Amino acid sequence: MQQDDFAIDNCLKCSLCNTVCPVLGVHPQYPGPKRLGPELERMRREGIRTDTEWVEYCLGCHRCDLVCPNQVEVSQMIAHAKAEHRKPLVRGVRDWWFARPGLIGLLATILPYLSNFALALKPVRFLMSKIMRIEPRHKFPKYSRPNLRTPVNVSTKRPGILLFPGCFIRYNRPELGRTVIKLLELNGFATEVAASECCGVPAIANGDAALARALVRSNVKAMAHQVNSGMRIVTACSSCGHMLKTGFGGLLDEDKAFAEEVKKIAANTFDLAELLVQQLDAGSLNTNFQPSSLKLAYHAPCHQKSQGIGRPWYHLLCQIPGMAIVDLDSGCCGMSGTYGFKQEKYDVSMAIGHDLFESIHAAQPQMVTTECATCQLQIEHGTSAKTIHPAEVMLQAYGEHRCN
Amino acid sequence: METNRFDLVVVGAGLSGLTAAASAARHNLKVALVATGPGSFVLGPGWLKAEDMARGSTAPDLREAIAFFCEMTQLAGCSFAGGIDAARFLPTVLGDFQRVALAPISLWKSAPRDGSSTAIVGVSGLSTFDENFMAERLNERARAIGSICTYEGRKISLSRNRGIPVTTLHVAASFDRDPDFRAELMDALRLAASGFSRILVPGMLGLRSSDQQIAQFEQELGCSIGEMPTLPPSVPGLRIFYRLQSHLRQIGVELFSGFPVQKLELHKDDCLHLHVASPGHALILRGECVLLATGQYSSDLLGDACAGYDEQMRPITSAGSLMAQNPFVAGSLLPGSAEGNGDAMEILTGYRAGNFAASKRGHYAAR
Repeated sequence: MQQDDFAIDNCLKCSLCNTVCPVLGVHPQYPGPKRLGPELERMRREGIRTDTEWVEYCLGCHRCDLVCPNQVEVSQMIAHAKAEHRKPLVRGVRDWWFARPGLIGLLATILPYLSNFALALKPVRFLMSKIMRIEPRHKFPKYSRPNLRTPVNVSTKRPGILLFPGCFIRYNRPELGRTVIKLLELNGFATEVAASECCGVPAIANGDAALARALVRSNVKAMAHQVNSGMRIVTACSSCGHMLKTGFGGLLDEDKAFAEEVKKIAANTFDLAELLVQQLDAGSLNTNFQPSSLKLAYHAPCHQKSQGIGRPWYHLLCQIPGMAIVDLDSGCCGMSGTYGFKQEKYDVSMAIGHDLFESIHAAQPQMVTTECATCQLQIEHGTSAKTIHPAEVMLQAYGEHRCN
Repeated sequence: METNRFDLVVVGAGLSGLTAAASAARHNLKVALVATGPGSFVLGPGWLKAEDMARGSTAPDLREAIAFFCEMTQLAGCSFAGGIDAARFLPTVLGDFQRVALAPISLWKSAPRDGSSTAIVGVSGLSTFDENFMAERLNERARAIGSICTYEGRKISLSRNRGIPVTTLHVAASFDRDPDFRAELMDALRLAASGFSRILVPGMLGLRSSDQQIAQFEQELGCSIGEMPTLPPSVPGLRIFYRLQSHLRQIGVELFSGFPVQKLELHKDDCLHLHVASPGHALILRGECVLLATGQYSSDLLGDACAGYDEQMRPITSAGSLMAQNPFVAGSLLPGSAEGNGDAMEILTGYRAGNFAASKRGHYAAR
């Protein structure tokens, strides 16, 4: 829970973390979270150099943290090790870009059609695999011109919502952002879009702690005023939500000026479904759903589970009359943001997703739904099942069309 | 019906918590199970000692509770064999025998059988499992318990683990996921088993495998196979936890895993709020009844005001009055169990708590 020297002794070496690690399950050589987290951390604190490439194979799924009976933050320790790991040049350059989905998005959306065209070309992907070690079999998400403005016409006394869009909504799927805003509007909330940057999860995952810190500072500055004036932050991306709620991974704990603001942001951040379930429980959710005969399979992303909020989307979708929902409960999809795009990790990533793909085949849904953008990519890649965000399902159930 | 409002909120996923959640769900209660990790049962061998069972046998409802537990584990695909009056000597990794009343089938089968010749099969690279030491000791100890059987050590090596230290967790994970690995393991075991009437292996036949999958493996192997518990965490114990967890989910129990309950709000009326320490802000769960089955080593949620428990396992103050109507306590939190009433008591008090909650069923039961 706390980043202090005592926390390390909380690790009793019971190995329960190793029993839930998705990577360890498919890769017999992987040393596992117990070794890469607390054991290496112990040495690092003594000043013993312990660099190992295995830390790069951690997904950052936080499953180890959740099973730990003593609340050791295993994955945060592995993230520290990642930040100190030195990579060979090519992978270093690739991961520099992967740590910056915001910058990629900014550049790719100058001429989105050209970017999408180029990124879909086989020769381009071949070259990227040779020069950058980016897996050619995984399709890139399509880029769209950023456009999150939508006419909001609600008169409401409810305190306002500040939408933290994240890179995917901002640069790839702005129509999903508009869907979220519309959904909130139909439930009486007026929404502003935060002038935020990337949440920093990709920077941490790719070992760039300095960048992550810079992003967090800029995000805190961008949102502190609104949060102080009583607005609640809402995310529709489970990884952004995880990052904001965990106080940005403890990155700015040392920085007294920011620590308070970070805490305030964490306390006032809500997953979209978490907010809507609160409305449901208070009897104020708009339940004018049209009956549906859809059969959906729901996949809960790891960063949804790590928020400790139960299964709010599952319960919300169950409110739609006639809709059949299967909760897949089949572990991690293996994508973990940029992990599945990395050539050397592609096989591990797909092997991890295998159980999930199998249970999707067994459930035979018309569509799969999950709130994580990269889980969506992986599921579509691994099963060819159409996969959408639950907010889109819900908006359709209100009889509204998707905000194209 | 409120999403985070339940007839019963169980805190702790050890034997008592799991049993309580299942027994309340059987009565059609809406149940939540909040837990950080699987409790200490999985760290032990995964069986119930005969002396434990004997100590609990004065309780009139122990038979009923154990029957319920056996039925629950069977439905979850991790059946137990034995029972309240049963006792078998099961071998341990230290080369001794323990008298056991109830054990997962794969462990129950490791009991000595008169006239049998048993190969104890180790895996090369696997530490803390010395098949020759065990065979030598068990031959000696078997005579002492009056059993006529022989043990011999054998060792297999597995190609995918070559050159790296092996743990039973690694082997079990590969067993679950990889058909090629299972085939290789089977070939190696078949070779080691030749000339023996049966084999014993360290507990490693899958972390999530069902009775049926293990039985199928045995059938294809063509030789009786039993598991032995290893040092913690033992695979058979973990298997029970993971299978029971999915079983509970299937019967509608809502699982909240990963974050501890940091605060319990006691009210005079029949509603309790639990604050789960989720990141950012607490998740508030509400329970018509609340069961604390957190074990002795968790923080004390009831605080100093709690001086003991009444016969319905409800906390009382030093003046003897109930702290509130609807919290219960089960498992090793209850006094007396510190002396080692152990796992049988965990099951018994968990089962009772589920029934108490059902008898107090609130108005949120209708689903």
